[in-house]
Amino acid sequence: MSGRMTKALAVSALLCAAAAYPSAAMAQQRPAPPASPRPGAARPAPRPQTAIRGFGDFGAERFAAGDTFDATLGSPTGIFFGGGVEVVLPQRWFISARLSHFQKSGERVFVDSGEVFPLGIDMKVGITPIEVSVGYRFQPRGSTSNVIPYVGGGIGWHRYSETSDFADTGEDVSETFQGYHVLGGAEFRMGRIFAIAGEGQWTTIPNAFEDVASSAADAFGESNLGGIAFRVRFVIGR
Amino acid sequence: MSIRTQGRAAALIGVLVWFATVAAQDLLPTAGRRSASPLAVSGLGIDRGLRPGTALRSVGKPLSYARMRANARYLPGSLIVKFRSGTSQASRAALLATVDGRTAATVSNAPFDVVNLNDDADPEAVAQRLSAQPDVEYAQARYRVHPLFKPNDPLYSLQWNYPLIDMERAWDINPGASSSVIVAVLDSGMAYTNTAFDFTQTTAQNIDGVVFPALGAVHLTFAAAPDLGGPSRVVSPFDFIWGDNTPVDMDGHGTHVAGTIGQLTNNSTGVAGMAFNVKLMPVKVIEGFWDDYFESPFFGTDDTVARGIRYAVDNGAKILNMSIGREGPPAPVVRDALAYAVSKGAFVSIAGGNDFADGNPLPRYAELATQFDGVVSVGAVGRDRTRATYSGTGSWLELMAPGGDVARSGVPGMIVQQTYDFDFTDTFANGPTGFKAPRFDVFEYIYYEGTSMATAHVSGLAAMLYQQGITKPAAIEAALKRSATDLGPAGRDDQYGFGMINARAAVRGLGIIR
Repeated sequence: MSGRMTKALAVSALLCAAAAYPSAAMAQQRPAPPASPRPGAARPAPRPQTAIRGFGDFGAERFAAGDTFDATLGSPTGIFFGGGVEVVLPQRWFISARLSHFQKSGERVFVDSGEVFPLGIDMKVGITPIEVSVGYRFQPRGSTSNVIPYVGGGIGWHRYSETSDFADTGEDVSETFQGYHVLGGAEFRMGRIFAIAGEGQWTTIPNAFEDVASSAADAFGESNLGGIAFRVRFVIGR
Repeated sequence: MSIRTQGRAAALIGVLVWFATVAAQDLLPTAGRRSASPLAVSGLGIDRGLRPGTALRSVGKPLSYARMRANARYLPGSLIVKFRSGTSQASRAALLATVDGRTAATVSNAPFDVVNLNDDADPEAVAQRLSAQPDVEYAQARYRVHPLFKPNDPLYSLQWNYPLIDMERAWDINPGASSSVIVAVLDSGMAYTNTAFDFTQTTAQNIDGVVFPALGAVHLTFAAAPDLGGPSRVVSPFDFIWGDNTPVDMDGHGTHVAGTIGQLTNNSTGVAGMAFNVKLMPVKVIEGFWDDYFESPFFGTDDTVARGIRYAVDNGAKILNMSIGREGPPAPVVRDALAYAVSKGAFVSIAGGNDFADGNPLPRYAELATQFDGVVSVGAVGRDRTRATYSGTGSWLELMAPGGDVARSGVPGMIVQQTYDFDFTDTFANGPTGFKAPRFDVFEYIYYEGTSMATAHVSGLAAMLYQQGITKPAAIEAALKRSATDLGPAGRDDQYGFGMINARAAVRGLGIIR
């Protein structure tokens, strides 16, 4: 396991723990249920409460500009590590903020009629999205199911960096692009404050690679920095 | 299986998938590509001689291009930190401990520390973290410094043509290709070897309407141009004009052209060439005055050129320079030869003609370039980046390169390279007066102009691209066009084609965004 991955794990765990703490504290402050409900009376459903949860995640994204990424980085897919916080409202709506990161090294190329010629000039690419999502969790009031599907969508700001050997001033790239996404998944409750979720997300970042003749993206006619991602999310919190 | 158990199983599977994907990312994508890179081949020789009485110096490995690349932008596993004055040793150690850093041995002339990190640490990221600490004045990765290559050839300052196409920054990336690339120069021969030939001419010769007296038996000496590197630079030479394998230059044109393609460079001598590490293949397919005077058995005709093209390709040339051409009817035999060259993976650049002022006739060889992806026609620009007054125009024109233009910029606006001293070769220049046997062993740095010179620039750059990994002729042409600096009206036009070659942009290639 690389050191980078170890650190990403540690950061994710810390995020989860930090975000989950207030939720656990709130749980302790809830009034105790009646000690002995009357026999035969219906058990009152727990009153929904606002919950703040933390999560860490990892997953793979198939870039919309797959040919471009494949040509330069050797794969149309990238691995993202992320984490964030999520507020689940009593009405089952949720709002989340997520920070993730992808980084990979490759080399500059020339592309002719779809054929790729690596040129032996090292380059490094990093993508750091900050995404805010709003969504709905399909958990009927009173349901005891441990599986909670959810859907959502939102907006993101995607920091893109590209550095190359021999680059002169202004030739490296560090820009932020705005994108939009929709997502959906299912959360499996695995305990009182721990859950694991599988999630898919479609992101569009239109016109991020635009009109630059010296770009592989232009050679492939690709301009969208988004893609389709699948990830596993570890949630701490109710 | 309960839902809880299923959930735990899902978690376990998720973790396993995580490890598998991360391992795949680290292991799969770049290793094979890297090993396939053709760049990691060349190295500069070093003199390992030890002079008596001198101390043995500790030297690193030779700073080869491959080594520079391997180490990329900065050295892994270390960085530079300067702590603010007054920061205690304990504070320094504590700060460094947060990044698993250890101060390396003290080095001289360094009011800063070089800190060792774990090999897998990202020095840039660590430097960013340390820089945010109040006790740290600055921290940075140990970025590699590479030469901004500017040849030390003493006459390099006369070669405006290289800065014009951003050649110096191209050499930073690709220092002159390598000897694995063979560039054939189909021309008047090349001054590549020391030799001598005996000729006999017992009758007066009428050449271009001028009658030159018979010289009788003459012993002509030939020498290798000192700045071209001699026979070691040459592979598979052949002379289709005299029918042997010693294509000595009896004109000077081929030697000048070869100089622009591959003149020895950074050798503290004379001038520079584009792809100064390549091997050259002189293929003599046109004759000069002295070949005619001494009645060479063959002539520079379409069939000779076609044979020369096929010979060059069959003997391993991957780049063919044709600073030659003609007007008149079509040349199907040359067209077939060009098709053969491209089919065998050879790229060809062809001069676009110098007769714009004489009716701008259609250059038949250059015109053929438009029929093949992998063959380009080349026009000339002067040092002011405008089309040279002589350079032909038309729908066949594809690329421009420096060819010089004495009409606008005077002699310094021409292309200088080493070739024969005209005083010793062109004894025919004044007609029969002063006519005597030539010498082909006296050299000088001489200014030429023409699309011939421009074509040599394209061939040199093509050789660099080939060495760098663009090994298909069509792709080389596409790279040259895509990276060209657009001149004249926007887009392709008949005056400038797709524009002037830009060496740096070509060898730098494409990133994802820029």
